[in-house]
This record gives sequence, C-alpha cells and structure tokens, in this order.
Amino acid sequence: MPDAQPHRYGPSLRQTLSDPLSSLRLLGRRALLALLGIAAGCAAVVALLNIGHNAAHEAIRTFKGLGSEVMVGSFTATPGTVTRPAPATLDTQHVKQAVPGLREIAPAILYSATVRAAGQAYPLSVIGTSHELEGVLGLRLRHGRFLSPYDQQSTYAVLGAQAARALNVGSVSNQGPVAIEGYLFEIIGILADHGHNPLIPIPVDEAILLPIEGMRRITPTPEITSIIARGRQSERLAEDAETLRDYLAPKAPGHTVQVQIPQQLLDGLERQARTFSYLLLGLASISLLVGGVGIMNVMVMNVSERRQEIGIRMAIGARPRDIASLFLLEAMALAVVGALAGALLGVAAAWMFVRLSGWSFSLSMTSLPLGIASSLLSTLFFGLHPARSAANLQPVTALRDD
Amino acid sequence: MELAVPNTGNNHTTALPGDNLLQLEGISHTYPTTVGSRSTLHNVSLSVMRGQSCAIVGASGSGKSTLLNIIGLLDQPTSGRLLLDGQDMTRATAHIRAQTRNQRIGFVFQSFNLLPRLSALENVALPLLYRGYGHTEAQRLALQEVTRVGLVNRAHHRPAELSGGQRQRIAIARALVGHPDLILADEPTGNLDSNTAGEVLALLQALNREQGVTLVIVTHDESLAQTLQRCLLVKDGHLLERYPNPVHA
Ligand SMILES: Nc1ncnc2c1ncn2[C@@H]1O[C@H](COP(=O)(O)OP(=O)(O)OP(=O)(O)O)[C@@H](O)[C@H]1O
Ligand SMILES: [Mg+2]
Repeated sequence: MPDAQPHRYGPSLRQTLSDPLSSLRLLGRRALLALLGIAAGCAAVVALLNIGHNAAHEAIRTFKGLGSEVMVGSFTATPGTVTRPAPATLDTQHVKQAVPGLREIAPAILYSATVRAAGQAYPLSVIGTSHELEGVLGLRLRHGRFLSPYDQQSTYAVLGAQAARALNVGSVSNQGPVAIEGYLFEIIGILADHGHNPLIPIPVDEAILLPIEGMRRITPTPEITSIIARGRQSERLAEDAETLRDYLAPKAPGHTVQVQIPQQLLDGLERQARTFSYLLLGLASISLLVGGVGIMNVMVMNVSERRQEIGIRMAIGARPRDIASLFLLEAMALAVVGALAGALLGVAAAWMFVRLSGWSFSLSMTSLPLGIASSLLSTLFFGLHPARSAANLQPVTALRDD
Repeated sequence: MELAVPNTGNNHTTALPGDNLLQLEGISHTYPTTVGSRSTLHNVSLSVMRGQSCAIVGASGSGKSTLLNIIGLLDQPTSGRLLLDGQDMTRATAHIRAQTRNQRIGFVFQSFNLLPRLSALENVALPLLYRGYGHTEAQRLALQEVTRVGLVNRAHHRPAELSGGQRQRIAIARALVGHPDLILADEPTGNLDSNTAGEVLALLQALNREQGVTLVIVTHDESLAQTLQRCLLVKDGHLLERYPNPVHA
C-alpha cells in the first residue's frame, strides 16, 4: 500500500497546469498560426478601444479649450413650408440689448468660392462675419488687424492661417488684392493658427473672412448659416441660449432655430462616438471570431493527432474532465500568449494612429483587460467543443491504432 | 447467482475461498459496422478469484481483446453484468470507470503504449499523478517501481531510447505503480523476441506469486499459457474453460 494516500482523486493543480504547457512546445508552427489569429483579434479590440478613447479625449480637450460659455445658433429650413431665405444680417447691438446675458455675438455666412491671387486660383471657404467674431472665438492676429465696425461697406478681407499659407501670403504690406467671384478684396490681416474645433461650425483657419454686409457681392442671396455667441455666466448659459432662440425665431420665418450650448454639442459628439464604438465592436468581434476559429482548427487537429495519447491517459485513470482540461488549458495557454502579444500590438497601432492624427496619446486603462479577456473568452467558447469531443471518446476507441 | 463478498479494497490479502475479484455474467458485445452490426461476444460468463493467474487463448479475431477491454473497463458490453470486487461496474459513469481503472487495474499492451514525450520515470509516475499524488511523492514511488523492473539506470530516457523489452518493463512498472488488484495484459510479449519475452513473463509471474496480484493474459503462446493456473479459450465469441492447470490448481 503506498503511503500518504491522497484523499482526493484527480491531478494536482500544478500537474493540471504544467501538462498543457509541456505539450504546447510540440504544437510548433500550427500553434503559431492560432496564436496569430488570437493576437490579431486582441490587437483589434485593444487598438479600436484606444482609438475610440483618444477620439473622445480629443473632443473633450477641444471643448475645454473652447471655454464653457460659447453657444452656437443655426437655422434649418422647416420642411413643408414655403422656402424663404434666412436673414442675411444681424443687428448685434440690438441682440445684446434683448439678451443681456450675452457678452458678445457674431453672425457667420459660410460659402465656398475660388479665390485668385497673383494669377493663381485656390478653392477656399469664405466666411462673412462681423468684427465681434474676434472676441467670440478669441482669435489672434499674426499680421495687420481684424475687421472693424467701420469696415462694413469696405472690401477688406482677413486670411486664416492655413489659407494664407495656401495663397502664399506672408505679410499684409506690399500684398496685391485677391479676387473672389470677380470682386477685388484687400488683405488687411492674417490670423495666427486657431486650430480646428469640432464644436464650431466654421473653419476659420482655412477661410478668408469678409464683412458680412459684403457677402451680397459674392452670392445673390446670402443667408446666415451660424451665429456664435459668448455668454457672461456659464451657469446661466442654458437660459440665455433659450432667450436667444426666442429672439431669433421670429426673424427667420419658415426656419427652425436652434441654439446649442457646448454640453448639448458634446452630447451629440458622444452619441456619435457611441455609434462609432458599436462599429468598432462589430469589427473587433469579427477579428475575435476569426481568432477563435483558428484556435478551434488547431485543437481539432491536435485532438485527432493525439488520440492514442488520450487513450493511454484514459486507461491509466484520466477522467473525461482531466482530458478536457488538458486540451482546453493548452488552448488557453496559447490564447494568453497570443492575447498579450496582441495587446502590445494593439497599443502600438493605436499610438501610431493617434500620433498621425496629430492628437496626444493617452492609454485607455480598460482596453487591456477588455481585449485580453475577450480573447480568452473567445478561445474558451471555441475550444470547448473540441475539448469535450476528446473527453467523450471511449477509451477503447481512442486506443485503437488506425 | 453467487453473491460476492464486499471487499474493502485491501489490495494484497491472500485469496479467500469464493473471493471473486472479477465476475462476468452473460456478457455480450457487438460492434456497430457500416453493414449492420457485428457480434463478437455471446453470453460470456466468468469468475476469476483474487490471486489467480489466467490465460486467454484463441484464434485471431475470436474476440480475446474485446473481452479483455470489457474486463478492463475500456469498453462496455452490449448486455450482461460485470462485477469488480463485488461492485457492479456495468453502468458506472466514465468518471467512476476511470477512477476504478486507476486504482484497481494495471494494463500491459502489446505495443507498450508509453507516452513518447515523457521519460520512462514520468510515464511510470503518471497514474499516481492522476490519483492525486504530489509530484515529488509520485516520482519517488515511480523510481521504486522502475528499480524493481531493473531499469533504474534508464529512468530518464525517453521510450524511443529504450529497447522493446525495456519499454515493456517500463509499461509493467507503470501498471504496478498504483498497486492494482488486477493486471490485464494483451499479448504482452507479442512484439518481443523469445529471450526478452521470457524475462517479461517471469516478471509478471513473480508479481502474481509474491504479491498475489491477479493476472489475466491474452496470448498466442501455448507454452506461456501452460505456465498459468487457468486457461480459457475464446472461440467465435464463446468462452470455454480449457483447463484449470492441474500443476497449479
Ligand atoms: N472497431 C471494430 N469495429 C468492428 N469490428 C471490430 C472492431 N474491432 C474488432 N472487431 C472485430 O471483432 C472481432 C474480435 O476482435 P478482437 O480484436 O477482440 O479479436 P482478437 O481475438 O483480439 O484477435 P487478435 O488475436 O488478432 O488480436 C474481430 O472479428 C474483429 O474483426
Ligand atoms: Mg487482440
């Protein structure tokens, strides 16, 4: 009688864990294939989660830079009513009296046109606006000056930083006029880089800015596309936005007037980001599916190749659950290695994407556990069937050598 | 029907009269094949007492291996009852059958059936690991067994680095390491030359004599069969008692 008879039947935890590891080394090239599948799946999940995370991060960062007192108004033609143009100008003094919560307000008409300078033509955005835009958006000038209240009837223009580079305009002095739709405009200022802000619907950097009254020269029916305002108190912003909307609504019959505050805009962005995440989720599940099928394939071949071994182990006392865990843990060991490699790969890919987009990278803490766990779950799901079919073999069938 | 005396599982007690280790009652077996089914055993009944040594002979294809696999709980009969040490194993779960094989039965196969990746010692230790022994203890007991079959200096070799006779001795060590009641051997000398076959056989018989292990050996070798206490003949799926060998009985 052997001494120290164990009180529980079945291999020890150490044995259960070390057996699959030692047979793993024998899987060779095929293991590498399954590993690649799982790694790709995990990399996809991690990369996509990180890109989503950084995109959201970026949106929030720009929102913070914007200041929390900005509101954006817009007119949309109400369907089913007689089409009438939206207003072409806005009496900003009058608005400020009617809505005392506003610090500043500027209208904007967005249009795109071909701008000619020094005999060459460039397609640019044209923004008709007032001198107040400088204060509303906090624009800074690199050269010259911004539009002033006295420029209403003039043919002055201010260039956005990007537009100035495109037109090759370095300074205001000794710069000839530029032509828009046949009209000549004199450049009086060049803006410093302002940066893109997803919440602001006008592309200041890529535009040429004109006095709003002059837009009639460029388009026969100018219509205000957006109104950008800055409130005095961020806590009262929602009420002020409502007052502003009530003020604007009668001025634009046949149009629905909306005044959004950053919180709403941000909510909209978030909704968008959520849709995007579902898309990413779909992509990631497909990758995991492919990885899982790869694992399943390796395991099915593994089981059929090692049938004799299964028979021998069964003959000397391996229970169905011991056989199942042998193969399942083998698959899991593969998956762990694959998932770790994939996680690194995913972070690297996301990092590259984020840097190429010109954002700053921040690691999503949940992406790593989520990516690794979903890879392991996929492996468990796809490995269960082959492991069980091995476990349910009759010992005599497994032992037969043919 | 003779009621078996419940045995508490003390492995090496001397045989009591009527102490049936193994009892088969009306065992039949059919293989399902592509053209209907093929009947291999018909209504086989058999009792083997604890400590007996027993040969099973018969023509090729007569059903000897099938019978041995059923006795060893590797296969299930189509009908009939199988009792091991008084316990009905016919409808036992795969879990219980595996546990019973591990604790009560040792197998010796014609083709050795060692795991090629493991060393001789690890092969011998494996049944103990499944039984729940720790790694160190299993290795220690396995080494004793490897020493007993005279291969202590080959303990760390892989099966591929051993001769046929040495592999079979390692397989016997593996069958013995768990101190089974019953050793089942299917043509254990079939792949060995006559000298090595003699050594392996002597090892098995010594176990039977000195430790009272019950021995059932399927063989084609008449002279081998004659050295055992009993000889059973399988003919077309029927079991006939050829002789209880008068020399040993
Ligand atoms: N898996 C199987 N499916 C169908 N028939 C089988 C199967 N295995 C064995 N048989 C048939 O069952 C019969 C008994 O086979 P078994 O292996 O028990 O014979 P045996 O007496 O051990 O022969 P041998 O001395 O050649 O080993 C044979 O006729 C064989 O053809
Ligand atoms: Mg046979």
